[in-house]
Parts: sequence; C-alpha cells; structure tokens
Amino acid sequence: MKVILILFAFLSSFSSWSQTGKKVQFIGSARSIISNYNFQTKEMDSVTPRKSAGGYALIDLGFKISPNSSTEILGMIRVKNELGGFYGANVAFDVRQIYVRGVAGKIVRYQLGNIDYKLTPYTFYNHNPDMLVQGTGILKLKEDILNYESFYSKNNTWRQQGAAADFGLAFPKFVDDVKFNGFITRLNPSNLNNIFERFYGGGNIIINQSKYLSLGFNTASVFDLKGTASSENTYKNTVNTVTYNTKLSNDKMTIGIKGESGLSSAGLAEDTVKLTDFFVNAQLYVELKKLNLDFAVGYMDNGADFRSVGAQSKRLNYDQANSFFDRYTNGQIQRQISMYDIYNDPTLYSSSISTGINTNDPSFSSALPYGTATFNRKGLYANLHYADSMGKISANMSYYNLNEIRGQGTTNLKHFNFLKTDVRFEVAKFFDWKREINFNLGASYQLTNRNNGIAFEDMSLTTVALSLGAEFEILDKLYLLANVYHFESKGTDLLPIRNVKDEIINFNSLQFDRFENYIAGGLKFEFSDVIYLSAVYESNFNNGNGFSPYQINQFLIIYNMKF
Amino acid sequence: MKKSIVFLLLIVTLLFSCRKNEVNKIDGPSLNNIYSSFSVIKPLTKSIDSVDFSIGQTVYFAAEISKIVDWKITIVGQSSGAVKRIEGTSSAIGASNTTWTGNTTDLPVFGTEICKVQLTFNGELDTIETTIKIINPKLNPGFLVADFESGFNPGWVSFIQSGADMDFQIKTDSEAAQGNSYYNMAGTVDWDYLIGYLYFRASAYGVQHFPIGSNPDNIYFNIMIYGEPGLQNTILLLQFQEDDDNNGTFNSTSEDLYSLQIAVNWSGWQLVSVKYSDIPSLTNGQPSSPNGNGQHNPDKIQQINMLDLANPSTGFASTKVDYIIFTENTPLNP
Repeated sequence: MKVILILFAFLSSFSSWSQTGKKVQFIGSARSIISNYNFQTKEMDSVTPRKSAGGYALIDLGFKISPNSSTEILGMIRVKNELGGFYGANVAFDVRQIYVRGVAGKIVRYQLGNIDYKLTPYTFYNHNPDMLVQGTGILKLKEDILNYESFYSKNNTWRQQGAAADFGLAFPKFVDDVKFNGFITRLNPSNLNNIFERFYGGGNIIINQSKYLSLGFNTASVFDLKGTASSENTYKNTVNTVTYNTKLSNDKMTIGIKGESGLSSAGLAEDTVKLTDFFVNAQLYVELKKLNLDFAVGYMDNGADFRSVGAQSKRLNYDQANSFFDRYTNGQIQRQISMYDIYNDPTLYSSSISTGINTNDPSFSSALPYGTATFNRKGLYANLHYADSMGKISANMSYYNLNEIRGQGTTNLKHFNFLKTDVRFEVAKFFDWKREINFNLGASYQLTNRNNGIAFEDMSLTTVALSLGAEFEILDKLYLLANVYHFESKGTDLLPIRNVKDEIINFNSLQFDRFENYIAGGLKFEFSDVIYLSAVYESNFNNGNGFSPYQINQFLIIYNMKF
Repeated sequence: MKKSIVFLLLIVTLLFSCRKNEVNKIDGPSLNNIYSSFSVIKPLTKSIDSVDFSIGQTVYFAAEISKIVDWKITIVGQSSGAVKRIEGTSSAIGASNTTWTGNTTDLPVFGTEICKVQLTFNGELDTIETTIKIINPKLNPGFLVADFESGFNPGWVSFIQSGADMDFQIKTDSEAAQGNSYYNMAGTVDWDYLIGYLYFRASAYGVQHFPIGSNPDNIYFNIMIYGEPGLQNTILLLQFQEDDDNNGTFNSTSEDLYSLQIAVNWSGWQLVSVKYSDIPSLTNGQPSSPNGNGQHNPDKIQQINMLDLANPSTGFASTKVDYIIFTENTPLNP
C-alpha cells in the first residue's frame, strides 16, 4: 500500500463546520413568549388558581471567534428575564454553550467543551419514543422550542461536556476509506465523599470497503473513576457493537442488508455476576428509485438484560412533576403528565443521559419505551417511506410486532403491536400555487397484551394518537395554523417497581382510562426563514384518567429569531 | 458481493442461535406470589423449643404463605417484657430471614424466660402464635463497667447532694433494663445543676486503666438510660478521664478529659451507643480543646465520671441507668 491519503472533515456525528473568513461573529437566538393560561375543572376545587399569566424574554448571545483558519471558539451566554422583572429581579444569566473546535495538523478534527454527539442506535443515541405523532403547525413551533431548550438536534444527538475527535484514512485499493471517531465526556462530578467521577467514553471505526459494503465497530462505556470517592464500588456499563450495510444497486433499485449487533455488560464492581446480554437487529431494505419508495423488513432481538446507558436514557423524565397546575381539586391530586405537557413543558425533559432504567409511562410508550434499543423485545418490524420527486406527498410508516423475551413476574410474555405513520401533503405543489398549503396527518397505535386466563396476569393496553396539522399561507409570509389531536389510552398494565440496582422488586397495578382532545389555531408571520411572530389559542381537554377531568386553555404569543 | 451477503447472514444466524433459553426465567417476583389470594400454607414452626443464647445458639421460625406479603414476627419476653421484632416481605419465612440471636429491639433485654412469638401479616387478619423458651440470655462481648447486679462496688465513688427526695441507690425490681438491678438517680436540688454523681474508677476493677483497645474508632461506649415519663429535665454527663502520662492519676490541666452530655428527653429505656472517637472535649457544655495530648486514647481511661444534672429551676429530676459496657468494633446489640 504505497499511498495513504489523509482525510479530514468527513461527515461525522458532531456537526460539521467551515470557516467563513470572519475573525469574530455574533450568533445566537432570541425568543419572547407571553402566555395566559386558563384552567377549568368540574371537580370541587376552591384551591387551584384558575388563571396563570406570564412569559419571558431571552437572548442567547454567542461569540464565535476564529483566531486562525483551523480553530473556532464559541462562547454563548443566555440572559433570561421573566416578564414583570426589572432591575435585576427575575433575571437569569447562564452559560449556554462553550466549545473550541478545529483541525489539528489538517488531519484530526477535534472539539472540546459542549459537544452534540451520537454513535449508533444501540450505543449512543437520543431516541424520542414519547412524542407519538409528528409535529406540524403549532405543535411544530412548540416542539422546536422544546428541542432547543433541551439541546436536542434533528439527528438524535445528546449534549455532552467533554472532548471528541475524528479523522480518516483513504486507501487506493481494497478499502475506500476508514473513519475513526472518539469521544470522552464527564457525566457527573464527584462530591469527594460517596459519589464517583463518572465518565462516558467510546468511539467507532467505520470501514467503507466500497459503495457496496461498509462495516463499523462501535464501543461506548460509562465508568466511574476509582479513587474519586470513598467507596470501591464503581459502576460500569459497556456496549460493543458491529454495524454493517451491504447492498446491490442499479438505476432502478437498491437492495441491501444492514443492521447492528452487539453485547452489553453492566454492573457494580462488587457484583459477582454482571448483567450481560446481546442484541441483534438486521433488516433487508429495498429502494425503488423510480417509485420514490423505500421499504424494509427486519428482525430485532434485544436481550432482557441488554443495557446501554447512552441509548436507553429517556428524554422525558416521568418522575418530574408538571411545572404548572401540577395539583388540582380540593384534594390537590397530582396532575399526570399529559400529551399536552409533553409538547408544552420543557422542564419535563432531561438534557443529558443518566444511568439506571428511567421511569416510563406505558400509556404513552409501551412497545418501545426506550426506542429501538429497548431491552427485552424481539420480533419483526417493517418500515416504509415514500416521497414524490416534487415534494407533494411524503409518507412514513413503521410497524412492529414484538414479544417480550423474558416475562416480568410470569413466564407468560407480553405481545406488542405498534403502528406509527405520518403523511404530509403540500397541496400548493399539486396546483403550482405560490402560497403554501400543507397538511400533516399522524397516527400512532399501540396494543400491548398478555392473555393466559389468569386474572392477575392478564393485561391489555391500547394507546391511540391521531393528529392533524395544517398551515395555510393566507397572505405573503402570513400563515394560518391549525392543529387537532386526539389521544386515548385504555386498559391495564403492571408497571415494574425497581430497586437501586434496577432489579424488579414489585409491580404497580395500573388502570388507564385516559383521553385528551386538543384543538388549536393561530397566525404566524415569517419575517424571514429564521424570524417569526406567532399568536396562538389552544384548548386541551383531559379526562383525568376517568376521575377528575380538566381543561387547559392557553393564549400564547411567540416571537422567535435566530441570527 | 454475494459472498458478503452470505457472510453477514451467517453472522446473523449465529447470533440468533446464541439466545439463551428464557422460557422458565422471569424478571422480578412472581405475580402469583403478589396477587393471588392470601392463605397460610405451612403454619408457624420454630427450629428448637428451647434456646441457650449464651453459648451462641440461635433459633429461627418458619412458615409458608401463598403470596408475597409484608409479615412481622413479634417476640415478647413473658417476664421481662422485652420485645424483638423481625420484619420481612416474602412468601417463604425461614432461617434466611428470621434467625434470632437473642437480641432485643425494644429494651429491656431478654432474660431466662418463656417468650410469646406472634406472626402477623400486613393487611390480613390472620395471626399465628407459638412460644420459645430462653434457657440463658445472650452474652455481650466487651468490658462491663456496671450492670449493678452484684451491688455497689466498693471502688466506685458516689456523691449525693442534700436536696429533697434524694434517691440514689441500686434498685432490684422488674424495671431493670438488663438483669434485675439498675442504678436509680432522683432528687430535687434547687441551688445547683449537680444532683449527684457516681465515679467508676479503673482501680475498682483491679487495673490502672480500663482494659479496652487503643483504637478510638473501634471502641464504643454503651449505656442504657431510662427517661422518666413526664420528666425530661435530666442531663447525664459522662466524663472520660485519660491518664495520658501513665502515672496512674489524672491531672485536669495537662491530660485529656472527654465528655458525653446526654439530655434525657425520652420516656422509657433507651440504649445510647457512641464511638469513643466521637466523644468531644467540653467546657461548660461547649466544645473545647482537650488539655492533654489531644488524642482519644481509650486504653488510657483511668476513670469514668457519671454526673446526674438538672436545671435547678426545673425541680425534681429522675432517671435510671443500667448495663454500662465498652464494646469493640460495633455498638452493643443487646
């Protein structure tokens, strides 16, 4: 092998960048929200205030400095002022983002500080299993705010603090190129007593043998640093996987097999037996180029003891109470997290990964509560994607038919059916209209059951979410937005109660009779692609799981800009 | 290309075949154990009828229930009134979760007596009973300073103020926390905090220093104290005089004195156990620097002073003490 070409700046998991030539740039965003809530319930309630008004103005101001052509430094601060606060009251100053990144020796690209990172769906990946339907219109505005506040990106990265580097090698024959990615981040600091310094590190090597075959070797490990706490009982979770993609392609179609398989190990140093297991996920996919249609059928087998902190951490923290109207009625019962809250309340979301099995609410996500990396699932699945060449219609559909691998509390296994679909129509493109008219239909259906004739083991839970969103450009850059959705979850389930070592010690018998109806309308004026002003009115009825129904109405003004 | 596909399919097939057989495994406790109806499958039994705890014998109780349930075994000494409670959550009750070494949950401690054993279940009306005979109670390793069973040691020194209703004496009755006797301290002194004291000199045991280990992190001082119901004004001050220079006497200006001040603000008997290294040096009740080498040296304790104090304005004060003992490595488990 006489020639090795050094590559850099290839596509990798942290966002690419390029120099603009300016030494100092100001970047960031600004947002102001004014909201007025109205809470209604027919239950006896002389305690809960009926109305709540508030809002805030914030600016995220970043200074991007390029001291030379291969280095970039970003520091971004946030100034947030609750409406009604003056002269320093209710004003918060935070550091939102800091990093240094660049290219060393024109070979290795690096980033230090805040990094948005992912590897593969089973090693390090920010799954989003709780948003059951695709957001559009008003829901899209809210979802964008949630994602921005929690540092979620479109490509499923987690925000971490640490360092990452990548580089690549190109070869003249046998192998096209080999790419190397590595990262190390700090999950939590030691308290110099009983809490260890906890780190998360890993990386992968991706070998692109040719356009027909690529192989990846991935590893991710959460580990405690010995000696940073008074204990010797360190925690470690390691996941090693292999990814592969092999295909045949011509002008009409591509057919291939891709997937990921691997092993995990998790436990404390004092554990005599570590929790170990493996997973297999493989799919046959076909791309019909002339029909603009892609589909895949696959099989997954995620072991009952498969643990991957970086891929099984949930965005939503179900242990967190709602940040507004969290209790109501004279009995001050706790208001459960609803689908409305999932789209409305950024404080319910975690901004980083966490060890341990996160709490889940099966009424939202029962089949795959931890995304594709959910442990204790096996079965078949199928995906379908269609997007016509003009962008008039795009559709996605996925279907999972899964079983548990190991029963929880019984040898009888739960069975899962999960169908999720969304279709987007861009009507103006059918008629060559200048102004946009877009519709988005979303649907999600989950059926989980276990039937063997023993009353206390039998369970059945059905969750349905239907959504319709619309955007009408009624005047130039002025949009009429409308959304409706219906959510319902009915049935029973036994939710595992786990100890600190995540072992199931008991079960919580749950009965669901939930439904929500949401309707919203509003106007949005786009000053540019990144600046808009929107006024929205929305109404959400929630049956309170069949006990204490309530309704939340909100009038909301949002001004958002990026620069 | 074809070879690659075949190779990958082979890998996938191999991995599929690796899956362990999970058919008979379950995660967590059996639902049958939790949600099936409650019934006693095997009644309460004991491993032996009579137990001699003094020679290290133990006893356990066994029963089997149809489901996992919160259960509680309550053992009550018929003469002493001592109580031992053992609690658990399971369907099987046996040696692993009920073995009893003769220790006590609520003072007093068990004596040679018949005990009533009662098994109850949370949320269920069923109660199952049996009895067990204690041939000899548990012996506790350590250096016993006083249990007052053999009367007043002539090497001890006592002082009693000339107040009203003064009652400083060893009493022998059913109120003892351990054995049959305890030391009673009661009286009214309206001009001074001090009501009376009792000093335990090492010489009373025929030694220069109390015969205990030298590591203050491994030595525990234990004392059973009775709080008189309705009277919460007693302050018990325990002073530990260290003979730092090994000359057989204590000099307060050049040797360490560590003090344990206990406000007796509870009712009934309570065990107080303190690691020796945690006992501070006090001056007028406030932390201060010791006057000696500044190190806790339990093997140099030459005298223990037990002072019975009360605010003079609070009137009559009364307390009892029993079973004063040094233990090593762990607090007393009576």
